[in-house]
Amino acid sequence: MARTIPPTDALVILMGAPHADDLVTNALRLVQAMLDAGGSVAVWTCGYATLLTGRGSKPRNLAEWSREYPSTSELVLGMLETHPGRLFWYVCRFCSDDRGVTEHLSQVVARPPAGYEANVAAAAKSLLVGVI
Amino acid sequence: MNGAVEVTARCAHLLVESRGPWAGPGADRFLGDAAVLARLGHPVLVLLVGDAVTSAVAVPGSVSLTELSAAGADVVVDRFSLLQRGLGAAGLHPGTRPGGMDDVAASALHPDVKVVWH
Repeated sequence: MARTIPPTDALVILMGAPHADDLVTNALRLVQAMLDAGGSVAVWTCGYATLLTGRGSKPRNLAEWSREYPSTSELVLGMLETHPGRLFWYVCRFCSDDRGVTEHLSQVVARPPAGYEANVAAAAKSLLVGVI
Repeated sequence: MNGAVEVTARCAHLLVESRGPWAGPGADRFLGDAAVLARLGHPVLVLLVGDAVTSAVAVPGSVSLTELSAAGADVVVDRFSLLQRGLGAAGLHPGTRPGGMDDVAASALHPDVKVVWH
């Protein structure tokens, strides 16, 4: 049975690698601002951006051993838990599997590349950020 | 919705430039396209974010930014990106204003506003 995609005000397709520059940071800032403004947002990640929600711990800082730094998955989890029903997160299963990330946050939905069209159709508008 | 709705909801185009002027001609051409849209009468809101904020503090200043402001476009320079690069709002191109994501969120959500991120 085909998955029903909840309608949202915007779909942000996030393709930039999170380690490349501050593109992902700024895109997530825009997502947060749209949520703060009362909107509903879906995020679809492709390429290395699929690593944002992968399960796993972050290496500790050898220079500051006792300090904890939030991982990107913890950051996304906080956003999802703060905005239930208004923020949805999808990952491209092909891109994710291709990069060895097979487990994501339980709130994150892995979608086949062929499902992309349904996600675009469910959103009032789409915003493509970055390149693979 | 936040208080920026009245200002930004009229913008038919929200154009986000994230690349610096040294990344190639694409950034300046993108801003040039924004200026063309504004000259044609389309309401245009431009957000400079990431490395693109440096084009708003360059001396003597981006030609495209001058064209943009002359055409009536609203150009917001991301304050967070400025601070990340050790830059302040002082000395910004006169046709721009410092701001943040809150200033463009309403436009990004508005169904009649086209959004492009470069």
